[in-house]
Amino acid sequence: MRYNKIILLLCIFFTGRLFAQEPAADTTDLMAQLENEASDKDATNYTSATFKTTRLVNGHTVENAAKGVLDVKISHRFGTVNKGAYELFGLDNATMRMGLDYGVSKRMMVGFGRSTFQKTYDAFVKYKLLRQSSGKRKMPVTVSYVGTIALMGMRWADTSRKNYFSSRLSYTHQLIIGSKLSEGISLQLMPTFIHRNLATLADEPNDLYAVGAGGRFKLTKRLSFNAEYYYQIPGYKVEGTTNPLSLGFDIETGGHVFQLHFTNSTGMTERNFISGTTGKWEKGDVLFGFNISRVFTIGKNR
Amino acid sequence: MNKCFRILTFAGCFFVLVAAAPVTVYKVNKGSIAFNSDAPMELIKASSNELAGLFDASTKKFAFRVKVSSFEGFNTALQKEHFNENYMESNSFPYASFEGKVIEDIDYSKPGVYNVRAKGNFTVHGVSQERIIKVEITAKPQTVSVRSSFTVLLADHNITIPKVVHEKLASEIKVDIKAELATQ
Repeated sequence: MRYNKIILLLCIFFTGRLFAQEPAADTTDLMAQLENEASDKDATNYTSATFKTTRLVNGHTVENAAKGVLDVKISHRFGTVNKGAYELFGLDNATMRMGLDYGVSKRMMVGFGRSTFQKTYDAFVKYKLLRQSSGKRKMPVTVSYVGTIALMGMRWADTSRKNYFSSRLSYTHQLIIGSKLSEGISLQLMPTFIHRNLATLADEPNDLYAVGAGGRFKLTKRLSFNAEYYYQIPGYKVEGTTNPLSLGFDIETGGHVFQLHFTNSTGMTERNFISGTTGKWEKGDVLFGFNISRVFTIGKNR
Repeated sequence: MNKCFRILTFAGCFFVLVAAAPVTVYKVNKGSIAFNSDAPMELIKASSNELAGLFDASTKKFAFRVKVSSFEGFNTALQKEHFNENYMESNSFPYASFEGKVIEDIDYSKPGVYNVRAKGNFTVHGVSQERIIKVEITAKPQTVSVRSSFTVLLADHNITIPKVVHEKLASEIKVDIKAELATQ
């Protein structure tokens, strides 16, 4: 293969010299020559658009908001569909999160939000450690770190005891390892560590571990099917909780991405949906929900 | 000393011979390509400095190409992503190219400005169209510079505009090309 290329190059070189004044064989020769001279073998191509937006359903993807871009996210989760027609299949109830994400640099993004679920405030920082690329520098995966801090804002149920502010806090550390396998398929793994300063019961662990897996499958250029699942490691999970499974669609129109999905979790911050989901798919504890993302370019995009 | 002189003479002769043989293939040293989409609601501009090309003056044949993902500019980062992902599909069709032959017979060794027509296959988004494009060539000793402006219909290259962005994306894209070519 390599020799073929060298021979071809030599041929082009010599024919070019020998027959410089003769009619050239074919225009494809010039194009072939261009291709051989191409410098992009020395260039690195970074993979873009592994996912349509920075969230898969509830959790993060490897994507960041571009530098100088503000991403306004409004997310809703309705009630469970098994409530029936009386509650209009859950639409009578809604939990929502309002959030702002901002791309600080090519690799870093920060954001904060407020959910009505347990009046939770959350803030996160996300940093791209590795970027999937081909060409000169080959890297099969993109790896991002996400660190989230969440503050439970509800009034304490038991005011007779001493309640500390720190008890409201929980922390999540995630590594997101994602890869765009083809134009249509992107997959990611999300090992996750959650620390709650306050466990509800004395024998519950403060440190929780889970591994997430998810992916997107492009159906058309502007429509994709997404799936997201977190497996909580037995012994490091809260008893009575279930593993969150979410299935949905991303619909992209210009600067908006609409995400419509079904999920068994009501919470929208990591601590709440990874370690605090109670709904069971098999019992119909499934909620309809949507995220709307709208991006605004604030800083210079270059 | 004598030997040294002989080698020098030989080398000198060699260079004279090489220089005497007319080199007619010009290569792009500096090439840029810019496009703009002027729609009622939005003006989008982008350009690339990675235009590569060869022109063989003796056969009048040429080949030019540009890497689609090398275009920079746009109004937002997302627009660039959509350009590559949804419209140009630059993963599947990484290059836009134009190859063919100049119609007019011109002696480029005579300095001057020549208006010529370049006829060939214009390929964007994997779809080729036969085009005749007017080009202004300025010939100088050892170099030529090329300038051209033309339009590209998205429909010609199987690029569809979704209804929601009809007001934001022109169906006809203006393209400007500038390149400096020199013999190698």
